[in-house]
Amino acid sequence: MSKHRAPRAPRRGWLAERPEGAIAVPRRRLAAQSRRDFLFFAVGTLAAAAGTWWLLPDRTKARLLPKTHDRLDTLAARVGLSRENRERALDRALSFDDDVAEALYSKDRRVRTYSRSEVTPLRNNYDGRTPGPEYLASWSLGLSGLASGSDQRLSIDQLLRRFALHGQVTRLVCVEGWSAVAWWGGIRFADVLAAFPPAPSARWAALRSSVNLDGAGRPDPYYVSIDLETARHPQTLLATHLAGRPLTLAHGAPLRLLAPMKLGLKNIKAVTDIAYTVDEPADYWNERGYSRYDGL
Amino acid sequence: MAHHPTRRTRQAAANDLAHVVPKHHVLVRLSHWVNVPLLLGLIASGLSIYWAAPVLLHPPDPVTGSRDYLRDLGLAIARALHDAGGDQRFWLYDHLSLGARQLAVALRLHWVLAYLFMVNGALYLLGLAAGGGWRALVPRASDILDAFRMIRFYLGVVPMAILRRPWPHPPVHSKYNALQRAAYFAMPVLGTLVVLSGWAMHKPVQLGWLERMFVNYNGARIVHLGCMLGLGGFIVPHVVLVIADGWDTFRSMIVGWSARVRQASHE
Repeated sequence: MSKHRAPRAPRRGWLAERPEGAIAVPRRRLAAQSRRDFLFFAVGTLAAAAGTWWLLPDRTKARLLPKTHDRLDTLAARVGLSRENRERALDRALSFDDDVAEALYSKDRRVRTYSRSEVTPLRNNYDGRTPGPEYLASWSLGLSGLASGSDQRLSIDQLLRRFALHGQVTRLVCVEGWSAVAWWGGIRFADVLAAFPPAPSARWAALRSSVNLDGAGRPDPYYVSIDLETARHPQTLLATHLAGRPLTLAHGAPLRLLAPMKLGLKNIKAVTDIAYTVDEPADYWNERGYSRYDGL
Repeated sequence: MAHHPTRRTRQAAANDLAHVVPKHHVLVRLSHWVNVPLLLGLIASGLSIYWAAPVLLHPPDPVTGSRDYLRDLGLAIARALHDAGGDQRFWLYDHLSLGARQLAVALRLHWVLAYLFMVNGALYLLGLAAGGGWRALVPRASDILDAFRMIRFYLGVVPMAILRRPWPHPPVHSKYNALQRAAYFAMPVLGTLVVLSGWAMHKPVQLGWLERMFVNYNGARIVHLGCMLGLGGFIVPHVVLVIADGWDTFRSMIVGWSARVRQASHE
């Protein structure tokens, strides 16, 4: 046993690699351990294969195995690996990620600002057709769920006369992965909240664009949920200007949300209504499989 | 009746001692294998996310309208293979990722796997520390020259086999040769970088300091993509060389020990 042990090399500090020495193990124990390890490996491989199949999106499965994917799905569902359970598991993971994001969030943290020379082109990422211009003439911002109990409608002139304009150069980050630095101008959401306070029990703002269109040009209202803490952040604007000019239709004229601490999909364009609610309101992209927190 | 010769011999044989060299800590082995499906899933879902907005862009191609290098590469492969099934432009995404137009589901999968990847990576580092395996991964000055010796050796293996000339392996006085060490050392480094750049992209406002570490948002995206190429590119030579090295090497990552005792104890 000792004759197989490698001679002890002189130590060359704690970083130095120790020589590999042989050890003597009873054959039977070695065989039993190896059997156990291989069994564990085989079970793990099977579990990984089943888990992979379970987690794959339906369209990917249909493409990979056009003939047998249905039968495999039925088989997987029999051991609990059903589509419903998968959705539940993925939803839970998504809320876990949202919880992590909320834990990281600090309301006092400022979004990084840039100088105007760092501005990059901003694309029009309307998912459907760009609405307008016919809605502009009659546009007004509706506020509901207010402490006063009565609803408000404000024109763009009223808003711009009443509230101070603030400028900021921040990055807008899209869930798709692209981002753009833009020079925005607008009124602070916090100022509007102070002037027209929501009902005391309200925790959320439901922002809605009733002029939004789908790809075929049909009405497709867009709506996002924003928690009031985010709405009160000093860098959260109801933006009216881009690059020093009033917003164009492509960027949500005449008023859009700019919450640079949230993904672009929360930054709703052409806002027509804001409702303050106690419970978290519906969110367009959350209903289509995306997160609803979307904090950056 | 009490005395049973065959049974005793069997008993003696079973109590025989086998000499083996401990190779990999149990946590290293476990995390190594768990990493396989995790990494493949992260690459597949990651490429599906990348599809939505590639970061490496060129001016639009006048013919295809593409701005994405990966799309160009996929199209070239599809044409070379005369693969007319599906959308040729998305060949690469259809074969290496979950597919095109799968952003929402790809994001959800990517977050699940990314959290598991971080837990698994921590287990791996724990195993390296507990088993002392990290010492074999520390680069050393002699590695530079030894790496060239290994490259020369690998380049000569096939020609010398054809010429039937002896072609001895350069002496290795460590658990790994210099090229292995460089690759195995790079894995935890790339793994750490891929996690950091991932967080920089995921929370660029709350983790602004991390985003700045990669210069800006796109810097993090490019590093993340580069790490993926490094981690994914490692798989091919790794598998080839393990197959070339034989059963003992493969088995050692399952059972933890190697039966190649003489080689090891004689340095």
